[in-house]
Amino acid sequence: MTPSRTAFAAILGKDLRAELRTLQSLPAMALFAVTSFVIFRFGLNRTSLSGSLAAGVLWATLLFAAVLGINRLFVAEREEGGFDAIRLAPIDRSVLFTAKVAALIIYLVALEIIAVPIFAVFFLNSAAALPPLILVLLLADIGLASAGTLISSMAVNSRARDLLVPLVLLPLVVPLMIAATAATEPLMLLGGVTYHRFGTWLMVLGLYDLIFALLGYAVFDFLLED
Amino acid sequence: MGVDPSMYGKGLRPLSIATPVAFAITLSLVFFYAPIEADQGFLQKIFYLHVPLAITSLCGFIVGGIFAILHLRRDDPRYDAYSYVSIHISVIYACGALITGSIWAKGSWGHWWVWNEPTLVSFLIVFLLYATYYPFRYAIEDRQRQARYASVFAVTAGAFVPLNFLAVRMSASLVHPRVFATAEGGLPGSMMLTFLCSIASMALLWTTLVKFELSAKSAHGQLKRLRRALDAPTGPPTSRIAPEVH
Amino acid sequence: MVDTLYGWIVAAPAIPNDVGGKYVAGAYIVFVVLLLIYVGIMARKLAGIERGLREVAEVAEQRKADAGETEHAEVKS
Repeated sequence: MTPSRTAFAAILGKDLRAELRTLQSLPAMALFAVTSFVIFRFGLNRTSLSGSLAAGVLWATLLFAAVLGINRLFVAEREEGGFDAIRLAPIDRSVLFTAKVAALIIYLVALEIIAVPIFAVFFLNSAAALPPLILVLLLADIGLASAGTLISSMAVNSRARDLLVPLVLLPLVVPLMIAATAATEPLMLLGGVTYHRFGTWLMVLGLYDLIFALLGYAVFDFLLED
Repeated sequence: MGVDPSMYGKGLRPLSIATPVAFAITLSLVFFYAPIEADQGFLQKIFYLHVPLAITSLCGFIVGGIFAILHLRRDDPRYDAYSYVSIHISVIYACGALITGSIWAKGSWGHWWVWNEPTLVSFLIVFLLYATYYPFRYAIEDRQRQARYASVFAVTAGAFVPLNFLAVRMSASLVHPRVFATAEGGLPGSMMLTFLCSIASMALLWTTLVKFELSAKSAHGQLKRLRRALDAPTGPPTSRIAPEVH
Repeated sequence: MVDTLYGWIVAAPAIPNDVGGKYVAGAYIVFVVLLLIYVGIMARKLAGIERGLREVAEVAEQRKADAGETEHAEVKS
C-alpha cells in the first residue's frame, strides 16, 4: 500500500502541474471575478463600498467564481481517464479527497490573491481591512473546497454537471457565507477596522470546515466504488 | 429474496386508524381547549400547525440521512427507497411549513415574508437544499450510482441542517423582535399538551404517508416483476429518479 | 343591523374576523389541500397499478387458454 503522504503529494502535484500547463481555470475565474466587480459597480450604482455591502459584493463574487471554477478540477480529470488510473492504484481513496481539497484550496487562494486586491482598489478606501481578511479567506477556502470537492466529484458523473454544482453547492455553503460576511463586514466599515464578534464567526467557519472535511473524508470511498 | 411481500402494507392499517384519531383529538384541543394567547390572539393557533410541520419535516430529513447511512454501509437497496421516501414526504411537509409560516407572518407582521425570524429563514435554506435532491438524482443515469450518490447527498444534507440553524440564528439581529415569540416565555401546560399532541399527530401522519408511499412503490415493483415473469409487454416508462422497490 | 341577511353575516361571522381568524383558517386549509393533493396523486398511481394488473391478468389468462388449446390439439392428433 503506497503510503498516504506519497500518494497525496503525487496527486496534488499532478493536479497543479496540469493546471499550470494548460492554465484553463485560474485566469478565467480571476477574469470573471473582476468583471463581476464592474457589474456590481453599475448594478448597485456605487463607486465605493463599505460595511455589509462591501462584504456582500466581495463574498458573492468569490463564491460564484469558485463555483464556476470547481467543476474544472474534476471534469478534465474524468475526460482524460484520470479517475480510472487512480481507482486502480493501491491507495486509500480518502487520500484522493484530501489531495483534491488541497488543490482546490490552492486555486482559491490564487484567485483571491488576484481578486481581493483589485476589489480593494476598486471599492475600498483603505487596505487596512486586508490583513485580518486573510484569516477569514483561508478558513472559508477550506470549507468551500471541502464542500465543493464532495459535490463536484458526484456531479462529474452526471448528465447536467455544469448545472448541478451551482445548484447543489450554493445552498450548502450558505452557513459559510453567513459567517464569512458577518466576519468581514466590521472590517470594512467606513470608520475603520473593527472586530465585532470576529472570533465567534471564525469559530463558526472552523466548525463548518471541520464538519465538511470529516464528512468528505468519511464518505469519499463510497463515491468511487464502481 | 426472502422478503415478506406484505412488508410495507403491514403496519399501515393500525397507522391509518391512529392518525385520524390523533388529529381529531389534536384539533379539538387546539380549538376548544388551548387558551387564546395574550400577545397574538387567535392568530397564534397557527403555531399548532406550523411548528409541528417544521419539526416533523426536520426529523424526517434526519431519518432520511440515517437510512442513507444504512444504505451505504449495508448496500441494501431497500434503504435507498426508505431514504428517498423519507426525504420526499419531508420536503412536502417543509412546503407546508413554509406556506403556513408565511401566512402566520402576514397575519402578525403584515408581510408575507420576514427575514427577521431565524427559524423560518433557516428552514427556507434547508428546503432549498433538499429541493435539489430531485434534479440531482435525475442527472445521474446509472441506477446504482444514483442510489449511492443520493445517499451521500442525504448524509451531507443531514449534517448541514444543525450547522445551518446555528449560523442563521447567530446572524439574527437582536434588535428586531422575533415574530414567532410564542416559545420564548415557556408554554403554559394546556398549550404544551396541545402542542405535543399536534407533534404526535404530524409524526403519525408522516409515518403513515411514508409507509403508504413505500407500499405503492412495492406494488408497482411487484407488477413489473409479474410482467417480466410472463414476458408481458412492459407498461408505461417508470420514473427515472424514484428508486424501485421490490 | 341583523334584520338583513348581510347584517347577520357581518354580525356573526363563521370565524372571528378581527383577530386573525382568516389567517388561521387559511393555514389549516392549506394543510388540508396539500394532504388531498397527495391523496389525489397516489390515487392516480393506484389506478395505474390496477390497470397494469388487469393487463397482466389478461395476458396470463390468454396464455393459459392457448396452452389448453395446444394440449387439446395434441391430444386430438
